Amino acid sequence: MPSFSSKFSSALLLTAGIAAGALTSAAHAAEIKIGAPLGLTGSVADEAKKQEVTFKMWLNKVNAAGGIDVGGTKMKVQLVQYDYQSDGQRAAQLAEKLITDDKVDVLFAPFGSGHTKIVATIAARYEMPTIACAASSESVFDQNSGYLFGTLSPNAALFAPMIALFKEKLPTLKTLAVLGRDDVFPKATAQGIAAAAKAAGLNVAYEQLYPLGTMDHSASLSAIKATNPDWIYITGYTQDLVLARKQMSDLGVKAPIITMVAGPAYKEYVDGLGDLANGITSSSWWHSATSYKGVGVWPTTEDFVKEFVAQEKSDPDYVHASCAATGVLYQNAVERAGSIDKKKVRDALAATDISTFYGPIKFSPNGMNQVRGLPIIQVQDKAIKVLGPAEIKNADLMLLK
Amino acid sequence: MNAMGHLQTLVNGIVLGALYASLAVGFSLVWGVLNIVNMLHGSLIILGGYITYFAWHSYGIHPLLALPAVALLMYALGYVTQLLVINRVVHQPVLVTMTLTFGLDLILYNFMTVYYTATPRRVTLDLGATSVGGIAIPFDRLLGMVLALVLTGLLYVVMRRSRVGRAIVAVRMDSAAAALMGIKVNRIYAITFGIGALMAGATGVIFAMVYPVTTNLTGIYLGKAFVICVIGGLGSVQGALVGGIVLGVIESFAGQFVGPQHALTVGFVLMLFLLVVKPTGLTGIKGYE
Repeated sequence: MPSFSSKFSSALLLTAGIAAGALTSAAHAAEIKIGAPLGLTGSVADEAKKQEVTFKMWLNKVNAAGGIDVGGTKMKVQLVQYDYQSDGQRAAQLAEKLITDDKVDVLFAPFGSGHTKIVATIAARYEMPTIACAASSESVFDQNSGYLFGTLSPNAALFAPMIALFKEKLPTLKTLAVLGRDDVFPKATAQGIAAAAKAAGLNVAYEQLYPLGTMDHSASLSAIKATNPDWIYITGYTQDLVLARKQMSDLGVKAPIITMVAGPAYKEYVDGLGDLANGITSSSWWHSATSYKGVGVWPTTEDFVKEFVAQEKSDPDYVHASCAATGVLYQNAVERAGSIDKKKVRDALAATDISTFYGPIKFSPNGMNQVRGLPIIQVQDKAIKVLGPAEIKNADLMLLK
Repeated sequence: MNAMGHLQTLVNGIVLGALYASLAVGFSLVWGVLNIVNMLHGSLIILGGYITYFAWHSYGIHPLLALPAVALLMYALGYVTQLLVINRVVHQPVLVTMTLTFGLDLILYNFMTVYYTATPRRVTLDLGATSVGGIAIPFDRLLGMVLALVLTGLLYVVMRRSRVGRAIVAVRMDSAAAALMGIKVNRIYAITFGIGALMAGATGVIFAMVYPVTTNLTGIYLGKAFVICVIGGLGSVQGALVGGIVLGVIESFAGQFVGPQHALTVGFVLMLFLLVVKPTGLTGIKGYE
C-alpha cells in the first residue's frame, strides 16, 4: 500500500502537471501563428530568402512591442515556416500541413504568381486568409476565393504609364520588340506590354517567349536586331536578364530604350552587369527612393529603409518592401477586427484602406492592391533614378543611342 | 534572314556547343567508366564558378589565373569523395550510386545556397566582341570555346596516351582483369571521379566569365549534360564534343526558325529520336577504347 507521503507527492506532481499544461496552453493561446511556405532552396531560393528576412524583421519588431493588440489583449506572433524547395506540389502539401496540422491563423503566400496560385487554391478550400506579397499576375486572383489578398498591383499597372512616358520623351518611338521567359509572371508581362503597346499605336515587331533553362539568347537577339526597334523590352528573372543584356552588348543589339523587368529593381542585377546596366529602364512596385507615411511598425518609408540597411547592409527592393508590408497589413486587419477569427480577419482585410511605408493598400474585389502610380526607374551612373510618376520623379529618361 | 544571318547563327551555335562539350565531358567520363550517373556534376560546376567569382571579386585574381588552382582543388575534392564515400557502393546497381550522388548533391547544393545565397553573381570582365567578316564573336565565349576544346583535347590525349588513361580504359573494359594485372581499381575509380570533378571545376571557371553564377543553374547544367551525352554517345570524349556542338548548333537554328520558345524542345526530340534509332549516340562509340 502506498504511503501517505508518496500519495502526496503523486498528487503534487499531478497538480503541477495540470498547472504546467494549463500554462502552456495559455501561452499557446496567446500566440498568433503565421504559416509561411517558403522556397528557401531551389529556383526561387534568393527571392524566398528576401521574404524570410522581411517577415522576421516585422515579426521581431511587433513582438518587441509586446505583440499585436487583439481586442485589448496583446498577442505575440510566431512564424511557422517550411522550405518547399521551390517545388509547387510540395508547396501545396506544406500549405495543407500548416492549415490542418500546425493550425496557423493566416498564410503568407510564397514567392511568385505560380506558387502563390497553388497555395491559394489549398487555402481557399479551408477558408484561410492568405496574403501574397509577390504575385502580380491577375490570373492568380481570377478564382476570386475571397480569401486571397495581394500587396502588389496588377501587372497591367506597369504598362500604360511607361508607354506614355517613353512616347513623350521619345516622340519618334514607333517599334517595340518583346522577349519574355515562358513562366507565369514574365509571360503575362510580355503579353501585357505587347497588348498595351499595340493599343497605344506602336508596332510590335518581335514578340517571342524563351523557355526555362535557356543558356543562349543569341537567336532571339539577332532576330530583334533585324527589326531595328526603338524599344526593346525583355522580361525574366535576374540570371536570364543579366545574360540577355550581356549578349546584347556582344552582338551589338542596340535601341534608344531598353527595358528589363524586373532587372534594375534588383540590386544584384546592377551588380552583375556593372557598366552594362547603365541606361536600362524598368518598372517596379516600390522603390526605396519613394516616401510614404502610414500605419504599422514603420511609420515612414525612410524608417523601413534605414532599419533594413542597418540589418542587411544593402538597399531593400520591392520584394522586401511588399513582404514587410504583408505583416503591417495583417497586423492592421487583426487590430481592426479585434479578433484572429479567420472570417473576421478576412472581412477586415477586404475592407482595408490604409497608407503604409510601402504605399497605399486598398483591395479591388478580386483581392489585388488597387492600381496606383508605380515607379518607372532607370540605372544612371550605377544608381537607380526614378523617372515617374511626377510626384516621386528625380531624373529624366536617358536615351541609349 | 540572309546568308550572313545564317552564318552568324551557325557561329553562335558552334561557340555555344563548345561550352556544352566542356560541360558534359566530365559527366560522360564518370558515367562511362564508373557507371555512375553523377548527380553532383551541375553543383560541382557552380562550386567552381563560386570559387572563381570570389577569387576575382575579393582578391582580383583573373579567372584564367585561377583556373589551374580551381581545377586542382576540384580534382582533390572529387578524388576524396570517390575514395571515401562512393567507392563503398561503386559495385552496387546504378540506382544506388545515383541515389548516393543525388544525396551528396543535395548537401553541396544546399550548402552553397545557404552559404553564398542563390543571388546571381557574375565576373564582370566584359572583354567585348570581335567581328570577322561581319560575324560577331564575343571574346569571352571565344576564350571559353578555346579553353573547352583544349581541356577536352587534353583529356582525350590523357585517356589514349598516358598510363593512367590506359588504366582507366582497362578498368572500364574489365575491372576484374585490370585488378589481376596489378591495377589498383579503387584508386583508378578515385582518379576518374577526380578528373570528372576537375573538368566540372574548369567549366565553372569558364562559365563564370559567360554566365551568372547561381545555384539556380545546377539542375539546368545537369540536364544539359544528360542530353549531350545521349546525343553524342555516352562514355567518350569525342561523344561529348560531338554531342555538345550538335546540340548547340541545333538549338541556335531552332531558336531562329521555330522560335526561342521551342529551341530546347527540338534538342530533347533529337535525344529521344536517337535513343530509339541509335542508342549509342551519333559517334557510336561505346567507351574509351
